[in-house]
Amino acid sequence: MKPMAYRLVAMLFALGLCFTSVQVSAAEKSFADTKVVLQISDNDPFKQTLVLNVANNLVKHYGPDQVDVEIVAFGPGLRLLFAENTNKDRIQSLADNGVRFAACGNTVRNMSKILGEEPVLNKNATTVSAGVVRILDLEKQGYKLIKP
Amino acid sequence: MKIKLKKLALAATSAAVLGGAASSAQAANWLMLQGTEPADAAARAKVWGFVQAQYQDDNSDACKTGCLPPASLGGYIPPKLVGPNLDNQSGFNVNRARIGVRGTGLPLDSKVNYFILTEFGNNGITYPQDNTHLTDASITLNHIKGARVRVGLFKNPGAEEALQAIHVFDYINFTSVTNQMLLERFQQEADTNQIPTATPNASMNQYTRSVGAFRDVGIQVFDAFNANNWEHSYAVKYGNGNGLNFGDNDDNRDLYLYWSSELVFGGNGPRREGLKLFAWYQDGKRTNVADRTQEQDRTRSGLGAKYLKKPFRLTAEYMKGEGMIFQGQHRPLHIYNNEEADGWYLEGGWYIPGTKWELDLRYDTYTRGENHPTSAANDESTFDTVTVGVQYHFNRKTRLNLEYASRDNKSDTPAVDAQNEGVDGRFAIQVTAIF
Repeated sequence: MKPMAYRLVAMLFALGLCFTSVQVSAAEKSFADTKVVLQISDNDPFKQTLVLNVANNLVKHYGPDQVDVEIVAFGPGLRLLFAENTNKDRIQSLADNGVRFAACGNTVRNMSKILGEEPVLNKNATTVSAGVVRILDLEKQGYKLIKP
Repeated sequence: MKIKLKKLALAATSAAVLGGAASSAQAANWLMLQGTEPADAAARAKVWGFVQAQYQDDNSDACKTGCLPPASLGGYIPPKLVGPNLDNQSGFNVNRARIGVRGTGLPLDSKVNYFILTEFGNNGITYPQDNTHLTDASITLNHIKGARVRVGLFKNPGAEEALQAIHVFDYINFTSVTNQMLLERFQQEADTNQIPTATPNASMNQYTRSVGAFRDVGIQVFDAFNANNWEHSYAVKYGNGNGLNFGDNDDNRDLYLYWSSELVFGGNGPRREGLKLFAWYQDGKRTNVADRTQEQDRTRSGLGAKYLKKPFRLTAEYMKGEGMIFQGQHRPLHIYNNEEADGWYLEGGWYIPGTKWELDLRYDTYTRGENHPTSAANDESTFDTVTVGVQYHFNRKTRLNLEYASRDNKSDTPAVDAQNEGVDGRFAIQVTAIF
């Protein structure tokens, strides 16, 4: 490969990194007036419906551009973000309107040990190192924590 | 323009979320409602159940002349008496009190779920034996897409009236065709019919085993598939053909086939709105408990349709049976005949808009004794019933049923016809509470 070609590939790679970086920071540097982090850590199926209802109501009330909502799932609540969860269509609809979903990496590892294999997560879920740390970080950024 | 776009986006969000809620709800047909749990959203052990307390009053008269032998006794036959005891014409009863547990034992693995339900009420399930009987105990394995496997004791795929959850049944008493042709009575060697007595004070329920309760122990492969707004379901079950009894009593097995296609309008659960078309077939053999060298085929089949879109509901079913046709105390010397029978019903409901009231009307007819192989004479008996009902829904889980059934029973056989002559109306009131 010629030096020029190397440079082109390097530039494209760098551009790609930048683009990825922008994507991530866009999630964290929200310009919405209202920022909410919703916690689900409960095994109760009703809580799954409830947390999605709350997210939907927030989006509906403020409008997708005016509210920033992230649902953080950890512990037994991680079941909400399993790929085949019965609420997957609702999760997709909310994701299409900007709601983000964070899955606790610690919980994924622990559940993998119990199941004997890693659970397949919803494609809209982003795995974070620890759900509780994610909540604390978001609170530092001005998010209000709500535990329906 | 920006505001318009935002409104459109919001509308799309709400529609999508609502649509998602509807389509992602636990599949709303009886196979799926009873045999599966919502994926990754079921409890480890959800305790549930229901209680039904009722009062029934039968206005029938005793047979006066030309009755079945011994003629001197005249008497009361089951349609004139209140079950399961069959020893009086009116009374209070806690006919169903069921408590159960269902869920996924390991919530992380939604591929396995279970269902257990026990009956504590007083009915054909519990009356003959011990006042308590397990009615359901099953495990479902959801590992193969399109072929879920359910094993254990559970309802047979079949007629809508039998397969539906009894606690959302819109009437108190079954149609004659379901009661006589589908609700199988299991006898033991010593069981015989009680001859009608002059006064309604002797228990005519002489069975020492539970009725089948439309259930069987076996294995079932089933699933449901969505195609646009349609949901198609199938089930193939292979069972003992021995009702609620855990073990088998012979070497014969029953085969159950079921198909339904439903145009889903919306909602979820037992009251999902839609137009459902269904057909089913059941085939097995029964061994004569008094003479185990004798066997009789037992075949049942049917088709029907159910429409529900509030405020209207309309259901129609046709059913046919061959072999093991229950005779009851109309013929005290027989329990089953190797005859043919068929029947159908048409029922409708109107939920009075803006109120908690619902009006119900049902016509059902049943003919048994068709093509009697050993009788030269025509031996048919017919049972026609018109039921008028009212329901008051206190809330989604508690309701009151009132119904009055006007009955007209006839037989081509004079002695049986004489017994049927006095059959008259029956009033029933029932409160159902689901928890």
